[in-house]
Amino acid sequence: MQFIFLLHNMSLLIFFLGISMSLPLVVSFIYSEQDFTAFLFSFLVCLFLGSILFLLTKRPKREISHKEGFAIVAVGWIVVAFFGALPYFLSGSLNSFSDAFFESASGFTTTGATVVTNIEALNHATLMWRCFTQWLGGMGIILLSIAILPLLGVGGMQLYKAEVPGPVTDKLKPRIGETAKILWKVYLLFTFLEFILLRAGGMSFYDAICHSFATMATGGFSTKNISIEAFNSAYIDGVITFFMLLAGTNFALHYQFLKGNVNSLLKDEEFRFYLLIILCSVLLVMLGLVLFDGHDLLHAFRLASFQVVSIMTTTGFSSVDFEQWSDFGKYFLLVLMFVGGCAGSTGGSIKVVRIYLLLKQGYRELYRLIHPHAIVHVKFNNSRVPSEIMDSIWGFFFLYMVLTVFAVVIMSFLGLDMVSAMTSVAASIGNIGPGLGSVGPSDNFSAIPDVGKWILSFCMIMGRLELYTLLILFIPEFWRK
Amino acid sequence: MEILVIGAGEVGFNIAERLSQEDKDVVVIDSSEANLQRIKDSLDIKTVCGSGSNPKTLLEAGLKQADILIAVTDSDEVNMIACLIAGSQSKVPVKIARIRNPEYSENTTILDKDHLDINLAISPEREAAKVILKMQDVPHATSVSEFLDGKVKLFSLKMRPGCSVEGKALKDISFLHPGKNVLVPAIFRDGRIIIARGNDVIKGNDEIFVVTESENVNRVVSLFGFEAETIKRVMIAGGGNIGYYLASNLEKKGYSVKVIERNSERCEKLASDLTKALVLKGDTSDQSLLKEENIANVDCFIAVTNDDEANILSSLLARQMGAKKVITLVNKAGYIPLMSTVGIDVAVSPRLSTVSGILQYVRKGKVLSVTSIHEENAEAIEVMALETSDIVNVPLKDIKSPKGAIIGAIEREGHVIIPKGDDIVLPGDKVLIFTLRSSIPDVEKALTVKVEFF
Repeated sequence: MQFIFLLHNMSLLIFFLGISMSLPLVVSFIYSEQDFTAFLFSFLVCLFLGSILFLLTKRPKREISHKEGFAIVAVGWIVVAFFGALPYFLSGSLNSFSDAFFESASGFTTTGATVVTNIEALNHATLMWRCFTQWLGGMGIILLSIAILPLLGVGGMQLYKAEVPGPVTDKLKPRIGETAKILWKVYLLFTFLEFILLRAGGMSFYDAICHSFATMATGGFSTKNISIEAFNSAYIDGVITFFMLLAGTNFALHYQFLKGNVNSLLKDEEFRFYLLIILCSVLLVMLGLVLFDGHDLLHAFRLASFQVVSIMTTTGFSSVDFEQWSDFGKYFLLVLMFVGGCAGSTGGSIKVVRIYLLLKQGYRELYRLIHPHAIVHVKFNNSRVPSEIMDSIWGFFFLYMVLTVFAVVIMSFLGLDMVSAMTSVAASIGNIGPGLGSVGPSDNFSAIPDVGKWILSFCMIMGRLELYTLLILFIPEFWRK
Repeated sequence: MEILVIGAGEVGFNIAERLSQEDKDVVVIDSSEANLQRIKDSLDIKTVCGSGSNPKTLLEAGLKQADILIAVTDSDEVNMIACLIAGSQSKVPVKIARIRNPEYSENTTILDKDHLDINLAISPEREAAKVILKMQDVPHATSVSEFLDGKVKLFSLKMRPGCSVEGKALKDISFLHPGKNVLVPAIFRDGRIIIARGNDVIKGNDEIFVVTESENVNRVVSLFGFEAETIKRVMIAGGGNIGYYLASNLEKKGYSVKVIERNSERCEKLASDLTKALVLKGDTSDQSLLKEENIANVDCFIAVTNDDEANILSSLLARQMGAKKVITLVNKAGYIPLMSTVGIDVAVSPRLSTVSGILQYVRKGKVLSVTSIHEENAEAIEVMALETSDIVNVPLKDIKSPKGAIIGAIEREGHVIIPKGDDIVLPGDKVLIFTLRSSIPDVEKALTVKVEFF
């Protein structure tokens, strides 16, 4: 474990972040808004600090070890969230640094929880930066640097494994750089398609870019106070629902699909299970809306499908204030918060594949009671799942639940009511965004005390990096020579 | 450039490592997930778990796009089948297989174009034996390789503290002996290779690399304080495949050869197959047998049984009893760094010899040949100097870059020149360049040639 190695990689990330700030900088210039100086200053700080660090630290000529891979990714995300917060803080859009960091962490981790009460009062550049951070974080900012900076290529697999969600990570191409490029190209293509379709539905150029960024990243930051409801268009609801579905699917499968290998997507067990959950949930929530809230069938379908897909894929857009729904619908959404997207997607939370394999494992235990001598393996896509992977899934599931409960206890100690405490944590660790109660879709996180904001920010980064990568930093053994 | 490597053992690992570092797309296939895990964690490659003789696995690994297939599992049959599939299911242009059993590898009809169509069948034992044989040409050398059609030899000599050239600068050695064409391109000192300059001083524990014309080898060796003598009497411990191959080749060249073998049946077979060599039945660590056979007069003792530990110990014993040079076959790569410390002059690894044999084959093209030196930390590249290259028409001393490389020999119209600072490379010359691995990209640039051109 060499700190110089860590610093060197941080310098690249900071520099890179600085470059990505040129987008809001341009936006701010076009609209000639007063936060131009704040963006310019953040831009220069990142470039300057990045280059200084880069020049001071020499890249050691060896591969990144396991440990260093974890450290680079975990510290990297914290650093990125920190520097990404500068524009919010410097422009005065947000009053305290706690707020700015929360907003930035919520952006990069594609959570979409906000502390801004009146979003529409923010400048164009700031809103663009919010959505752009989600887009960068969605496919993974480190994966992006692997794709475009050959400098990080050495040992990139360690970083890839630490950042890409899912219990097992496979490469599409022999070279990690190539794999990263493919994933980013698919991501870019879908973002562009969504942009075109949203424009066709009459959304303004600016809104279409922002929402495409936020959808493909399963982020959920909107430029409107009442999110997608503001557009009041069934077409836009439909397009966004479809692209949220795509964003919640494994991007490796998208690549196979685009290459003409249709079966690999349709035959994938995780994808089928993902669709099955969504289908059942939409029907159930729809039923609830018809029975308890008195909506007509078609309207109930439109609301249910949008909300279910949005929460399940951990996007967090809303096309209605579901806080006003009857309890069945609300709590059903709460349950979906613990499912999340597919492995290898931009979605967060526990992931469909883990839930699926745990169910299979549970079934296997029952089956073994009936046939005590049977040798039964847990299989996924026709091949056996090694027991080490099952162990790590169990460990993940358990830690996820324990950490959620732990954070909920702290949040309720800080004075939140039970529903708000529970959903604020579930929505943060699962990278969803809005919860229920005082943090529902029409409210925001600004009323939470500063300590709570830091805890939730921590939960978001932890959830984005699938617990292990961040938690490992807190094990003393990790730092021992 | 996509390369399929079948077998993630030591050979497969080393090949995948080198090729992926040279920016090739490598896919490794193995039936053991544990082997793959090790390789996946340390290299930027893709892995596929499955049998190398299963067409489905091969197709999944991208057989259709593959340019080279390298089959190096432990099983000859799997390797051969893999090449067969590569030829029948898709047209992989280059197929290389590790084939141990001489009954297969000597039967060239099954490997030729009309049957298995294997471009290179490589046997680890045979490769190791070849390395050992080359070593016999230069007494005292710890490694020997040949270039420019055998006209030039590059070899390394291990200095001992107190030897006659200790403390002398390299330029003085050639100055004192004008007319002898010798160049020291590099020195291996304290675990790393440095490119030598005229002012460098030889130290007691150095291993120096020397380039010279093949016919001058013996005289040049004497410059560095070694007795100019040739190897005549060789004792081989172990009469397996390698032992037999060595003995039959050495006896043909007129060496006096003794082979010690423990198994009496094998002894019978050796005795009837070999013409002049003396076959001894006994244990390689039997002191009285060694004394009886006059070990003190043996010029070179070669331990090639299939037991690493027995090889090492019998070599040490032979050395202590007076053998002038010992060469030891070591299978476990982990032992190799130890060898010079315990006092064994040369350790030869069948696996690493296979790796360099395969890499040499894979790389040749515009470059005439590439040979890895010293556990692959340096390379000797043989190349045709192009008009466009930075190194032509300039006196060598004025060539600025690359720092980590040096020109070792030039061949012009059949003549070999061991260059001095004032010599000039002309377009069309064949040039031998000794370079550190880190400088290969610079060398490629200077030559305007890519080493990996096929």
